[in-house]
Amino acid sequence: MSKQNQKPDEPKLRPHAYDGITEYDQRLPNWWLYTLYGTIIFSVIYWFFYHQSNASMSDVEKLEVAMMEIQATKLANSIDVSNDDLFYEMAENATFVSSGESIYNQYCMVCHGPNLEGITGLGLNLVDAEWVHGGEPSKIYQTIYDGVLDKGMQAWGPIIGQKSITEVTAFILSKKE
Amino acid sequence: MAKITPIRESVTTIADDGGRIFLHPADVRGVFTNWRRIVGGLLISIYVLLPWIPINGHPALFFDTVDRRFHIFGLTFAAQDFWLAFFFITGLGFSLFFITSLLGRIWCGWTCPQTVFLEHVYRRIERAIEGNSAAQRKLDGQPWNSEKIMKRGGKQVIFLLISTIIAHIFLSYFVSIPELYKWMTMSPTEHWSAFLFVFIATGVLHFNFTWFREQLCLVICPYGRFQSALIDDDTMIIGYDEKRGEPRGPVKDPNAGDCIACNRCVQVCPTGIDIRQGLQIECIGCANCVDACDEMMEKVGRPKGLVRYDSLNGLSGIKRRIFRPRIALYLVMLLIGCSVMAFSATKLKQAHMSVVRMAGVPYIVQEDTVRNAFMVRLINKQDLPVSFTVMVDSPIIHDKQGFEAPVTVPPLGEVVQPMVITIDRAEFTEKFSFDVKAVDSSGEIELMRNAEFLGPILLPSS
Amino acid sequence: MSTQKITIEYDDTTVRYFMIASVIWGAVGLLVGVLIASQLNFWQMNFNMSWLTFGRLRPLHTNATIFAFVGNMMFAGVYYSTQRLCKARTASDLLSKIHFWGWQLIIVAAAITLPLGYSRGKEYAELIWPINIAVAGIWVIFGINFFWTLAKRNEKSLYVAIWFYIATIVTVAMLYIVNHLSLPTGPLHSYPLFGGVQDALVQWWYGHNAVAFFLTTPILGIMYYFIPKAVERPVYSYRLSVIHFWSLVFIYIWAGPHHLLNTSLPSWLQSLGMIFSLMLWAPSWGGMLNGLLTLRGAWHLLRTDPVVKFLAAGVTFYGMSTFEGPLLSIKSVNALSHYTDWTIGHVHGGTLGWNGFMAAGMFYWLAPRLFKTKLHSVAMANMHFWLGMIGILLYVASMWVSGIMQGLMLNGTNEDGTLLAYPNFLETLQAIRPMMLTRVVGGTLYFVGYLLMVYNLFKTFASGSPVNGTVEVEADEKTIAKIEQKFPGFINAPVLYSCGLILFSCIWMFGDGIWMILGLILTIAVCVAAIMHFEIAGSKWSQWYDQLLEHSYVFTILVFIAAAIGGAVQIIPTVTINRADNIEGRIQVPYTPLELAGRDIYVSEGCYNCHSQMIRTMVSDVMRYGDYSRLGESIYDHPYQWGSKRTGPDLAREGGRRSDDWHYFHMINPRDISPQSNMPAYPWLNTADYDLKALPAKIDAMRRLGVPYPMDLSEEDIHEQARAQAIEIANGLNERGAVTDENKQIIALIAYMQKLGKYTDTTQVTMNPTENQE
Repeated sequence: MSKQNQKPDEPKLRPHAYDGITEYDQRLPNWWLYTLYGTIIFSVIYWFFYHQSNASMSDVEKLEVAMMEIQATKLANSIDVSNDDLFYEMAENATFVSSGESIYNQYCMVCHGPNLEGITGLGLNLVDAEWVHGGEPSKIYQTIYDGVLDKGMQAWGPIIGQKSITEVTAFILSKKE
Repeated sequence: MAKITPIRESVTTIADDGGRIFLHPADVRGVFTNWRRIVGGLLISIYVLLPWIPINGHPALFFDTVDRRFHIFGLTFAAQDFWLAFFFITGLGFSLFFITSLLGRIWCGWTCPQTVFLEHVYRRIERAIEGNSAAQRKLDGQPWNSEKIMKRGGKQVIFLLISTIIAHIFLSYFVSIPELYKWMTMSPTEHWSAFLFVFIATGVLHFNFTWFREQLCLVICPYGRFQSALIDDDTMIIGYDEKRGEPRGPVKDPNAGDCIACNRCVQVCPTGIDIRQGLQIECIGCANCVDACDEMMEKVGRPKGLVRYDSLNGLSGIKRRIFRPRIALYLVMLLIGCSVMAFSATKLKQAHMSVVRMAGVPYIVQEDTVRNAFMVRLINKQDLPVSFTVMVDSPIIHDKQGFEAPVTVPPLGEVVQPMVITIDRAEFTEKFSFDVKAVDSSGEIELMRNAEFLGPILLPSS
Repeated sequence: MSTQKITIEYDDTTVRYFMIASVIWGAVGLLVGVLIASQLNFWQMNFNMSWLTFGRLRPLHTNATIFAFVGNMMFAGVYYSTQRLCKARTASDLLSKIHFWGWQLIIVAAAITLPLGYSRGKEYAELIWPINIAVAGIWVIFGINFFWTLAKRNEKSLYVAIWFYIATIVTVAMLYIVNHLSLPTGPLHSYPLFGGVQDALVQWWYGHNAVAFFLTTPILGIMYYFIPKAVERPVYSYRLSVIHFWSLVFIYIWAGPHHLLNTSLPSWLQSLGMIFSLMLWAPSWGGMLNGLLTLRGAWHLLRTDPVVKFLAAGVTFYGMSTFEGPLLSIKSVNALSHYTDWTIGHVHGGTLGWNGFMAAGMFYWLAPRLFKTKLHSVAMANMHFWLGMIGILLYVASMWVSGIMQGLMLNGTNEDGTLLAYPNFLETLQAIRPMMLTRVVGGTLYFVGYLLMVYNLFKTFASGSPVNGTVEVEADEKTIAKIEQKFPGFINAPVLYSCGLILFSCIWMFGDGIWMILGLILTIAVCVAAIMHFEIAGSKWSQWYDQLLEHSYVFTILVFIAAAIGGAVQIIPTVTINRADNIEGRIQVPYTPLELAGRDIYVSEGCYNCHSQMIRTMVSDVMRYGDYSRLGESIYDHPYQWGSKRTGPDLAREGGRRSDDWHYFHMINPRDISPQSNMPAYPWLNTADYDLKALPAKIDAMRRLGVPYPMDLSEEDIHEQARAQAIEIANGLNERGAVTDENKQIIALIAYMQKLGKYTDTTQVTMNPTENQE
């Protein structure tokens, strides 16, 4: 590509050719340049906001706040699970017991039977006097929460959550003679 | 503003100093223009109306992201069916391949939302307020007097309003209309994310349709470029019949060809090219120049079609082949895709089941039994409650705990319940698979899932 | 002055060699790619053979496609164009030969060692240390040959393609050497010098810029040569070349940390990674625009010339990938996309679309010219293009859908946000299975298209005979480049302003109080001064730049400085800072000898290809995998194993979660424990013995790297400790019916798995010193 007869309208070629390759020197769309400037300005603001202004929380703080909120939601729906008396009070409360019953029927009945009497080879009896993993309400709660892996009971805490486990515990207590 | 004279060496819409040159395409009349308006109007009404037309109790298109349910022309899909989106994307791709190799960039000129909204909404309004292209150019050159402020300001306000409406309609594909109306009447702080979405979408649309316009097609959009790569000599494009037209000259010149050098084709072009310079990256195939040229030809009493829809072969006088091997290939791929999608969509149940092993240990061995526990998830995609009977199909399994009675799944809801399978230890020799079946009360929906039963493995001693 | 003409014959033999090598290795790399994609769908495709498992073949796939396919392609393009742009034959035929055969030898060595499980455990840097040294050596030979050719050039100044080649050579050398610094423990094994967060940072500084300076800049150089050649049009804009070259070289290097967003990487580094990625968008698109607008003048060629088709589509894919890249670097987008298939789709859009298509365009253009013949079949080349396009479409679309879907499922919670919507990882894997299958179909189509090219090219080669290009230069032209003018290479306005700007903005960004304000004021002052000066003396600046292009060494040094700054600012503080200050209150418990042996098996089997060890600072990660990972918890990990993809779940806190026998059965055949798992089976772990003998040397190396093993730990002690721990584990397993013995690899690996996530809380100790004293 040598410099052919260039028309006046045509952009100018740079004087040098490399292995026959020539170059124009046309301007870019300005809006392209402005996007570059725009991202630079955004970056400056972003940096200032997150690292110099103290106006923003760090990721860890944000995460901890979020986890705290989740915790709060859980707490709002639960009681002090180490307080055995509270469980007994709940076991007297029909609302708690009936919602506990429906959760029991959905998840627990499979192994522990419709009347909590247990199923041989599967779930233990929950209405007799014997408590293999601890009979205090808080222990019962904890057993459901963490499961008994060796015997094939999974940890229900991450699956149905604290509130449901509390209600189930109340339901079990209400059936206890 | 000077008259634009497009050259092949640089982009018409970029000034020498990098500034933007605004195009004011002249008015055009003709058969293609009329048809494009009809198509555009149709497409816009479809876009606006779809969220309002109920089919099977839901809007024709409604992507309920909150409940992870997608309603498409009466069918309901759950998040687990999301993989069907793949067929949608590739289907679009193959349609693009197919149509482009046959008809060129017809998508760009006739149906792309960018073109449809720009040509049939925004530019029409601009025309109504500011006058024809000469008037628009004059207005560009005017100082900011009251007339210019009124016209330009008024235009911006109306444009902003329209951009807002388009953004809201878009949102109504994801939020039901009554709900959306409720949100619109509340303070933005109640629904920050939706507000922010509409705010940003409006801004982007407004910027795009008032200022950015053809730059999107030229620089940003990859489809235009891929389409150009899919064109061959037999593809229908808009072209100038050089043989007939050249050399250009005034009507009276007996030595000149048919092109009278009136420059109408350049004046009406929305992307600022001269079609007589051949196929170019910017050409969106809108046919403005075809109508413009036909009108002039008619005036001077020459046959129409100096600029026309034709293949490059056709333009150079060779017969055009419509059916080519690649056309067949794309069509086959498209048909395969469509049939697989249609097949999967019809096979798609109005319910969904998954069977997953319970967390913790894989199996439990007791004195004379082996036990496996599963969690069964039933998802109902219908508006009515459905009750399912869950069964296990295996000659070895006799003891199943859970799902003794039918389980009722609420409308558009789901139920997760455990299922415990126990067999005699003596009967267990190696792991085996079995089917879990769920049937609704009417017997219409039948769901099937395969699961594995595990037990103690006796490895060959090493 | 005489005007006698000399004819120079170019060395095109080397070009032909590299081209043929690239074509062949490319087929191998793609074939392995199709195989490993199939393995993700059908675990049986691992064939229960150690050297065919996904974990070992995935590194082979990445290394083959990056270094063998694109590497050889790049060398072919560089050797071809540099000679012509310099009007000079390559300086030394001997060096060219060493370069070619050395590089092929390295590839063969890689293709043998990787499937055998010899790995450094860092992505795209898996090759073992003897090969690392060979790579560095060959690269230096390439560099010498290249710069020597520049020195002998008969062309006064440097064309833009050469700028990109220079940037490639110096930057890749820097990246490769720093990231491969290791301490050998034997002829085939070494530990990286850096550990934990330092290793992560260095790795992604390297990994990201392998993309930038191995897969992007050399190809941009090739674009600047071959596009104008193929369409016989002038390049659209010289000034755009200048702006986008320098901004790309300067900015790209900073963006590495965007591979570690939301991890425990210090947040200032994460922010730098994100904002520099966003700033990278415009420079990347500058390159695309220049290529595209150069093509614009010859747009009609698109319908007839397969070369132009490939180049135009390649440039377009470059634009799409560099648009998607900054998008994925936004922290909130990354929270969804990271560790999923979306990233895989993004990468393949770039490699299949940009690298693969640019290579094809270049090959189709070169083949007839290097063999003085015509391309065997244009129709076949067109078929290749269409198959490739369909392949990419299927591949990328399926990975988008798969990534977004799995990301949404993994991050999904139920309505009050206290429970995960899909607590079982397998359920999310099941959901994306159809997509993973379609990916195989797409990849296969692309591969078939590629094979058409291989056939077409070899037919073309066979139909012609090799010819070398020639050029006539005037004899006295040779001296032009040698004339030494006084040239202010470094002490001049543009360089000084740039340095001032970078220095002051660093003071402002990292300074506190008065320093911050001072830095801000000075940054603005320099900015304003530079703009004003430019308005007055802009033409002088461009004169200076024109002159700079005649001084290749000054140019090279400036490129090196521009490329080195980003890494220096990010890495030096992180590496030099006292490790104790960077642990976030927790410190890892060092591995016992047996656990260390297990860790080496984990690395060698390539487990990091599918499992991460990094719980991000995200609610869904914490709910799924436990407390978020702290810096100190991987401080002794050489190499770090944070991972970049979760085909399986995260393992950062795996220790103690499951029983030893669970792990045992799961390794022997994962489907016995988790039906529907797509993990390969590892039966040989229970037949092969772990390397007990090498442990003392390994522990010695670890100690040198700063891991606090007791100084008086003798060889016998190490063996004794390892054996004792192994026997205990083996006995426990045997009791539960898991038949094994204490020498097996599986024992060591289980010991390692059970150690994951064990740490000492240092805050307890330091916060209550008085309590401790009591």
